[in-house]
Amino acid sequence: MTRKTVDRAVLVLLIVMAVLLYFSTAYYKGIAIKTSAKYVQFLAVFIGGLSVVQLGHSLLKDRSHDRLVLTGHLPRFLGLLVALIIFALVFEPLGFFIPAAIFIPVMSYMLGYRNLLTIGLTTVGVLGFVYLVFIQLLSVNLPGINF
Amino acid sequence: MFEYLAIVFSGPALLTIAIGTVAGVAIGGMPGLTATMAVGLLVPFTYTMDPTMGLMLLGGIYCGAMYGGSIPAILLNTPGTPAAVATAIEGYPMSKKGKAGLALKVSVIASFTGGMFSIMILLLFAPVLARQALAFGPAETFLLALMGLAGIISIADENSSLLKALIAGLLGMIIAVVGTDDMSGSQRYTMGLVELVDGIDFMPALIGLFSMIQMLELAGMQHHTVDTSALHKKQKSEPMPKGIGKHIALGSGTGTVIGILPGEGATIAAFISYNLSKRISKTKELFGKGNPEGIAAAESGNNGCVGGSLVPTLTLGIPGNSVAAALMGAFIIHGMIPGPDLFTEYANRTYPFIISMFVANGVFLIVGLSFAPYLARIALIPPALMVPVVSAFAVLGSYALNNSVFDVYLMIAFALGGLVIKKLGYSLEALILGLILGPIAEGGFTQGMIIGHGSPMIFFHSNIAKVMWVIILALLIPPLYSYYKMVRGGKPQAE
Repeated sequence: MTRKTVDRAVLVLLIVMAVLLYFSTAYYKGIAIKTSAKYVQFLAVFIGGLSVVQLGHSLLKDRSHDRLVLTGHLPRFLGLLVALIIFALVFEPLGFFIPAAIFIPVMSYMLGYRNLLTIGLTTVGVLGFVYLVFIQLLSVNLPGINF
Repeated sequence: MFEYLAIVFSGPALLTIAIGTVAGVAIGGMPGLTATMAVGLLVPFTYTMDPTMGLMLLGGIYCGAMYGGSIPAILLNTPGTPAAVATAIEGYPMSKKGKAGLALKVSVIASFTGGMFSIMILLLFAPVLARQALAFGPAETFLLALMGLAGIISIADENSSLLKALIAGLLGMIIAVVGTDDMSGSQRYTMGLVELVDGIDFMPALIGLFSMIQMLELAGMQHHTVDTSALHKKQKSEPMPKGIGKHIALGSGTGTVIGILPGEGATIAAFISYNLSKRISKTKELFGKGNPEGIAAAESGNNGCVGGSLVPTLTLGIPGNSVAAALMGAFIIHGMIPGPDLFTEYANRTYPFIISMFVANGVFLIVGLSFAPYLARIALIPPALMVPVVSAFAVLGSYALNNSVFDVYLMIAFALGGLVIKKLGYSLEALILGLILGPIAEGGFTQGMIIGHGSPMIFFHSNIAKVMWVIILALLIPPLYSYYKMVRGGKPQAE
């Protein structure tokens, strides 16, 4: 997809959001009608207005056809993103150490690093650092299984 | 003052500052990692620390990282931080000529001088400015937030357009609306999620927008080999070039002033100082070919930003740049709201924090003069190892502040959404400033409207308010006029 198409889609979304935001203030209750509602309306009007101007500018002047490139290496980018989501999903039941002990070496390998000894030492080093500094020294409470 | 000095010069405090500064130099030396990322990532972990120690640690990281970026810039032509790009322009050619030792010396002395000068300005002027803030009512507080928004305009650079910077700032303010309405106690836009009742914390947003985005970008980047020949060349000790002092002084002053302006960052300070130095130089022809004057100006400029950026942050609650925004988060999570209270009620924490940054500058001066060539090797750490480690810390940091996995999801969402809008030319700095300024603006606006019985004239009533309007207009008119001229002239606008 081209950059300008995505940009225009984002601007349209912002305009829709501004309209919804403005009208949502009709449901405010009590003192909020006189205070918070005015503030939210102020934000809605400004972001909506600016988005309309930017969209108009894009429609009239933007003749570019360059593609929107989020990353130079999609599999690695998506791999990191998916791994992060899995990390977050298992964070509560398993805690930090077990997911991190899998996440760091797997991601290093996936990103192209092949020295397994360095990967292993880095993983052990990071986990040891987190244990000593965050658990023992700073008493940070982590969920799930701790050591 | 002696009691504050005693706090800073105690054993644990000195150790904390030294650890923070050395860590900052190392982080600044790693391409892809910035001071904002490091400070943002570590703020949640300081929650359980003694507040003064936590702030000293973060202050050390800020000072160290600002300098650290120059080392790989000079030796490897790989700026550790964006603020060190101008340093690389002069530093790397010097390294190729076998003058890396001199370049590193100029860099660390200029960084030290710029940092010390700006922190001195912070120490002298911040309490005075904070006292003025006592006269501020809700209307003036709202106008302060508007001033911050006006500062957002100045964030707009060649990569982000003026309108898009404003839109991003407003989007941040709208995100800040989510949660419980302080005036009525009712919930807004929480979609029934308990996790959103207290609103969207800006720390996961900050970690997502400034740390995780960089990791996503690094993960998808094609890596190139770095020329390490300068690391192996023998360096002879050379004296500082004559006349370099005026370039350091110019950079220190420029960096401090630019740092004070809300929204302006170290990169802009470094480039403006570099350009000014080029104009006054007697050896203009050497610029771009390895002129130590350029390094002196750029480094004193970006380090001058450190103290400057903290002036509006600590006194008015308006962050000077994104690192200052992260530091402001640290003050807030320790219950210290920026403003006059920092210099009265919390003086025993604020002054030691400021004084600790003098020490941090001394630490990186020693480190830089002794170990700089060895530290450059940090830049050679493969991104494939760095990305998973920093990502794991990003997950941990997002979780640690509120013990909430929801914040980890928020961090990932901000990283992904932030990457898309960054690629479209929206300013992430503006977004985060909007998120921070949002509650300040809303509080001032709603209370002002109540005091003014619903009339917006309250925002024009006091003399302070009138002066603030003048400042806001002064901040807005020049960039708007330039933008108007650019659009009228048909010059292609960056998007």
